[in-house]
Amino acid sequence: MTGGPTRYCAINPNTSILRIWFDSYLSVTCWSGTPSIMTLFHFGNCFALAYFPYFITYKCSGLSEYNAFWRCVQAGATYLFVQLCKMLFLATFFPTWEGGAGAYDFVGEFMKATVDLADLLGLHLVMSRNAGKGEYKIMVAAMGWATAELVMSRCIPLWVGARGIEFDWKYIQMSFDSNISLVHYIAMAAVVWMFTRYDLPKSFRLPVTVLLGLCVYKAFLMELFVHVFLLGSWTALLVKAVLTGSISICSLFLFVTLVHSN
Amino acid sequence: MFEEASEVFDNMFKSSFPLTFIVFIPAVLILVSPLPAEAAHEFTVYRMQQYDLQGQPYGTRNAILNTEARTVEAEVLSRRCVIMRLVDFSYEMYQKALRQSAGAVVIILPKNMSTMPQDIVQQFMELEPEMLATETVVPVYFALEDDELLSIYTQTLTSSSSQGSSSAAEVLIHTATANGFQMVTSGAQSKAVSDWAITSLEGRLAGTGGEDLPTIVLVAHYDSFGVAPWLSYGADSNGSGVSMLLELARLFSRLYTYKRTHAGYNLLFFVSGGGKFNYQGTKRWLEDNLDHTDSSLLQDNVAFVLCLDTLGNGDNLHLHVSKPPKEGTPQYALLNELETVVSSQYPEVKFSMVHKKINLADDTLAWEHERFGIRRLPAFTLSHLNSHREAQRSSIMDVRSVSSSSRHGAGEHPAGPHVDLRKLSRNTKLIAEALARVIYNLTEKGAPGDLKIFTEQMVQEEQLSSIVDWLTAQPRAAQLVDKDSSVVSTLEYHLGRYLKDVRRHYVKADKRDPEFVFYDQLKQTMNAYRVKPAIFDLLLAACIAAYLGVIYLAIQHFGIFYSVVRRITAPKTKQH
Repeated sequence: MTGGPTRYCAINPNTSILRIWFDSYLSVTCWSGTPSIMTLFHFGNCFALAYFPYFITYKCSGLSEYNAFWRCVQAGATYLFVQLCKMLFLATFFPTWEGGAGAYDFVGEFMKATVDLADLLGLHLVMSRNAGKGEYKIMVAAMGWATAELVMSRCIPLWVGARGIEFDWKYIQMSFDSNISLVHYIAMAAVVWMFTRYDLPKSFRLPVTVLLGLCVYKAFLMELFVHVFLLGSWTALLVKAVLTGSISICSLFLFVTLVHSN
Repeated sequence: MFEEASEVFDNMFKSSFPLTFIVFIPAVLILVSPLPAEAAHEFTVYRMQQYDLQGQPYGTRNAILNTEARTVEAEVLSRRCVIMRLVDFSYEMYQKALRQSAGAVVIILPKNMSTMPQDIVQQFMELEPEMLATETVVPVYFALEDDELLSIYTQTLTSSSSQGSSSAAEVLIHTATANGFQMVTSGAQSKAVSDWAITSLEGRLAGTGGEDLPTIVLVAHYDSFGVAPWLSYGADSNGSGVSMLLELARLFSRLYTYKRTHAGYNLLFFVSGGGKFNYQGTKRWLEDNLDHTDSSLLQDNVAFVLCLDTLGNGDNLHLHVSKPPKEGTPQYALLNELETVVSSQYPEVKFSMVHKKINLADDTLAWEHERFGIRRLPAFTLSHLNSHREAQRSSIMDVRSVSSSSRHGAGEHPAGPHVDLRKLSRNTKLIAEALARVIYNLTEKGAPGDLKIFTEQMVQEEQLSSIVDWLTAQPRAAQLVDKDSSVVSTLEYHLGRYLKDVRRHYVKADKRDPEFVFYDQLKQTMNAYRVKPAIFDLLLAACIAAYLGVIYLAIQHFGIFYSVVRRITAPKTKQH
């Protein structure tokens, strides 16, 4: 008598045949009944949006020919280990967060972001254990790292949240964010690789170091922008995409120059 | 790729145990970390009354709902939750929602009822009994407005009113951008409460000078009534009656402490429960005292019974009787004394006697004195209301006070029902004087009409004010006040300070043929979830597929981009 939830479908009797056809098409596609089908569909949307680029990158970068799957898993395990160490470090040295109502603790957040230097060390560790060309090392490290991050920090919120009754744009945003993270980690791995090359020309030292710093503090810069300019969630995503894009293009230019200068 | 994957996992489990450990422990730790629960907008809703009286069901029969929200302007209302605001409420819209078998109705009330314009208050007051009279299966809820609820309402309004009119393209855009809301209650279906005990309290002041003294009974019912039990505060009806009764108890107990002023009448005070449900408390009390006890004050010499009902406002005073008192009886004496006191001390009050025969064919009795009249005890009810059918006797709009901007002005509607403390205290003084004149037989002894027995300080306005404030601070519907309730125990304490032999009296409905049945689930928590229509998910899937197609092409042709970059950087290095 109270009925199950129904979606929006209205058939207006006083309209043209074309409109009635359109409305009946809508009503066929309106699945009144269990909401779990539709919410699972939404979860599927978000998951496909997040995961598909990783899959395509893996396939098209030629990694599958080199049997790199095991090495990617190892890179992912290193990611987990590094995150655990970072969490322990933060918990020990920054135990309480004195978060005031509006005060944004710049210095504290800066110190916390500095801990992300461990990411660089982790990436370097992974790349040094893999033998091969520069591109191969970079791609393996970046794919493994980014996939581990995708599984750990995005799959669970998507599974729990995107399947709920309540709709929120943030799940789509989260999936876009994972795409941006993939590009970011590829750029970061490339910059780390360049930084540790013994034959890096002197003139490259400075831009590479700057890019390295930008990679590490990108999250901190994003929070700063959002806090100071009060950006909306979509605008913040756009800014993040632009920032990552510019970092990756710069690192690509430097990489190409370095590799093909010999 | 999946063969590689299975190979890798095989290796992991068979050989490299330490690595497996390192992989899985952080994984488990991160996975089991608690995630914050998503919260949609949660708010408390109060259900409309549901009760059976003498076998007749009233009110709404259902409690649960899980439906999409709409406003009245929408075309399709069936199986939807219809949201209305009190300012836009009209009976036709309510009927329309019920006729189209809506899933539920939610009426949004302003947080501060006293700020509502008076014509809306009056209109709603008149509609309350009509809403209750028809038994309906649609659950009707009332919610107090806050900002989020208002925004939910406006969003639902825009989406409901644009449904019928637009073209196909507009409908498409609308489905993509609009927010629907799903309203879900968290409780269970309502069921009858078994063994509910309605509590009443009695206390007495014994007179002096021998056996078989005449008894005067003062009665007031303490429960309140309204279209939603949790919202019925019953300030004037009958918070005013109870506070007046307590004040009279205090005054006469002071007089009875001194030998010189100890009168020859027994005073019996009775605070009855279940008054709004056809005076159940009084009915059972009378049965117990007259049928089942050997000796009781009520059996012997009862001078009269005075019921106090709704005396907190107004400049009228009506004495409702079922039989006009004969000359020479104590009732006649009270009638006379009231007229005397009013004419000489309170000329602004218009006093009259209203004669209404007891009609046993009616569903419910009119006033409380009719219960006593049926048992052949002489009784009357004092009230500032002219008729028992006045809507304000059983309305949620009966609140402690209304804001001064909505008070009675020239040519405007009168202010909604509320308690005016000055008028309550004036009425208390009036009745106290009249009773004293009867008890001490002052008119026969020749005391003039304007002799004030109680000085200004005796009737304490602060005491009245604090009791009325306390009474109206919580809803006192009969379904909510059980025998452990603080209302009952505080009243018991108050009576105990002034009266002797304070006793509780319980009424439980008969098992086989219950006079009253109450139902539970009167207060619920409702959640409003934002939902998107099904077509939206399909649109989103199409957009995502397009985006992924673009990404695929971009990655496939990344080599071209790479060679462009190489060509751009090559001339630079040649120059070095």
